[in-house]
Amino acid sequence: MTAQMKLGAFLWATGHHIAAWRHPKSHVTAGIDIGHYIQLARTAEAAKFDMIFCEDAAGLREANIGIASQTSRSIGFEPISLLSALAVQTSRIGLVSTASTSYNEPYGLARTFLSLDHLSGGRAGWNLVTSASPIEAANFGATGLKPHADRYERAREFAEVVTGLWHGKASGHDGHSFSVRDPLDLPRSPQGAPVMVQAGASDVGRDLAARTADVVFTAAQTFEEAKAFYDDLKGRMVTYGREPDDIKIMPGVSPVVAQTEAEAREKHEELQELIPDDVGVALLSSYLSISDLGRYPIDGPLPELPESEGMKSRQALVVEQSRRDGLSIRQLARHFAGARGHWRIVGTATQVADELQARFEGGAADGFNVMPSYFPGELDAFATLVVPELQRRGLFRRDYEGRTLRDHLGLKRPA
Amino acid sequence: MDNGATMHLAVSLLPGTSDLTGEPEFRRLVRFVQQAEAAVLDMVLLADCAPASDSGTVNNPMPFEATTLLAALATVTSRIGLVAAASTVAHQPYNLARRFASLDIISHGRAGWNATMARSPREAANFSRPEGFSDTDFRRRGEEYIGIVQGLWQGWDADALLFDKTGGRFHDPGKMHLLDHKGEFFSVRGPLNVARSPQDTPVLVFSGLSEPDLDIAARTADVILLDSGSVESAKVRHDDLKRRATAAGRDPDAVKVLTNISLAPDDSSATVADRLETQFRAKSCDGFIIQLSQLSVFDDFINRVAPELRRRGLFRDTYRGTTLRSHLGLAGGGEQ
Ligand SMILES: Cc1cc2nc3c(=O)[nH]c(=O)nc-3n(C[C@H](O)[C@H](O)[C@@H](O)COP(=O)(O)O)c2cc1C
Repeated sequence: MTAQMKLGAFLWATGHHIAAWRHPKSHVTAGIDIGHYIQLARTAEAAKFDMIFCEDAAGLREANIGIASQTSRSIGFEPISLLSALAVQTSRIGLVSTASTSYNEPYGLARTFLSLDHLSGGRAGWNLVTSASPIEAANFGATGLKPHADRYERAREFAEVVTGLWHGKASGHDGHSFSVRDPLDLPRSPQGAPVMVQAGASDVGRDLAARTADVVFTAAQTFEEAKAFYDDLKGRMVTYGREPDDIKIMPGVSPVVAQTEAEAREKHEELQELIPDDVGVALLSSYLSISDLGRYPIDGPLPELPESEGMKSRQALVVEQSRRDGLSIRQLARHFAGARGHWRIVGTATQVADELQARFEGGAADGFNVMPSYFPGELDAFATLVVPELQRRGLFRRDYEGRTLRDHLGLKRPA
Repeated sequence: MDNGATMHLAVSLLPGTSDLTGEPEFRRLVRFVQQAEAAVLDMVLLADCAPASDSGTVNNPMPFEATTLLAALATVTSRIGLVAAASTVAHQPYNLARRFASLDIISHGRAGWNATMARSPREAANFSRPEGFSDTDFRRRGEEYIGIVQGLWQGWDADALLFDKTGGRFHDPGKMHLLDHKGEFFSVRGPLNVARSPQDTPVLVFSGLSEPDLDIAARTADVILLDSGSVESAKVRHDDLKRRATAAGRDPDAVKVLTNISLAPDDSSATVADRLETQFRAKSCDGFIIQLSQLSVFDDFINRVAPELRRRGLFRDTYRGTTLRSHLGLAGGGEQ
């Protein structure tokens, strides 16, 4: 049997497209409807996805209230409580939630994820992020966003403490940012330890991933970018005495899929038409970590930018795209509003499967984190059109072979 | 609204109340909570076992943290209130407020937060506070913390969400409020990125109160849990708390005082019902929180004591509303 790709179902309220909530067929009350999420989780489980994935931010996504009010992103479920609810409404699918190392303490976070792991019978994972938004920082003290390097230094120590606790280390920790005296008071995880996922692609981010992650979530537009990231990260693992196969690299992909290519394009255009200019530009600004993009002519080029203390990797990706394709601010804004910097494929199931297969077999990905543009429609479309096509090609499982998330991902069980 | 005629009943799920059936822990808890719901209890209190194991007596802890357990139980029950303990040392106020707001939406308005006011040296030691807190610091910090959480829970007006697809207006910007809190211990801008609670705010439950905490509790709590004692001493504490609530400008009925009762396996149901009736009629409390030493005691309570209380007109036989606030006869939320 050929190797099979891993698939995550990245759930995000009304959808990943910034204007998804305005689509006539999107479920607009998703952010307050647990039943909606149970339905999505069951759809993903029936399609044999490896996991459900939830992003997170401990604060609003957009500082300008007028702009925030034109998006659905200011309200939603807190992901750990959401996944705990889904844990008992599903039986096989993995459950991964993002949580920040900047605004939590390792003992509490380790304990909470271990509890989710027990509730789900060994299906939990933690996506480690360092948080890049000043809006979040303002909810946790008066000093503002900490520099990128400091956040990662804290993250490194945080990850070390959490994995130590999960692996049942008894000894106390007295470090630079944290002190922990006791072992966890919960039994060991049914899968040895919850799965460690990481999102963050800067140089220090990659090093941390190479050292601790089981899964890496990343954003890449082109095959070359994806391949370069893949090779670089796998290459770094040797330093930490790990095998390349110990990490599954899963870039985000946002497919818009339909029976015919024309239909898919039409569906995509329909979403694009729903983006207000100011919303698109504001989203772009946040990826560039600057506040005043709105003062540049919208049909002009992207200005020169200072290096970011926010998401370094995402800023680089946007700048790179604008130079490569010679895009104006408006064009860039519309481009990124669709999939937030992730790869987008618009086409038939065959076309989508071809593209995924090429990146998978070309050594640019071990799988994909699927980001439907609106819910529930585009998750259904992926499950009913693309998944069977991947299965037909032997590229994706027809049924779960194991019980735990580590089983699905083919990861070693920690000693 | 509740006219105060019937008592409120809660049950506490303590770690260590294990049985020997070998049934998976979560299944067993589900059965327990569904039983409590069938008996129309107001709420189940989910202890968080980290601090408890300080005592060294817990040899069979629940393998769950309380807020995650609450979310899971919320999906397999429909009426009973679910109150989880969570410490003010283990969570940042923004994160805690957000977790409970989310739990409240998941449970359709049945969530509560049990904030224990007692200091735990164990928590300090595991949460990067090896030096701990002084009593007064901990109290001032606690009060500031509670204020932030309640403030964050009120960041969205009940009619803030518009869901207007064609007009492109998801929410009304005027109905979302920043907190902009800058205090001695915390600085929190807000608002929460979770919608308003179906019962306006999750229910705030206080326990572990010492004398200097009483005013804070009387100003802010929805429910106050007190240890058991004689009817006379309970009455004194109950009246004192209601007086303090009145002094803080609140309706004394807006704070429910529940006292602990521990049930032993050999009490007869009539004796237990007598005991509860005496305390309740003496107005020494608004209800009771049942502590279990063994799960079999709960079966007795459900099958024999509760029907006896109903027969005497002391306890309801159906839920009249769907939110925890409605069970408790507290104001708030769309539905009562
Ligand atoms: C694919 C991807 C997904 C991310 N998802 C989140 C997220 O859900 N929440 C969050 O706070 N940060 C998220 N981040 C941001 C990073 O974790 C980190 O906070 C930020 O500093 C960027 O790190 P980098 O500079 O190493 O890329 C994500 C980053 C990437 C690359």
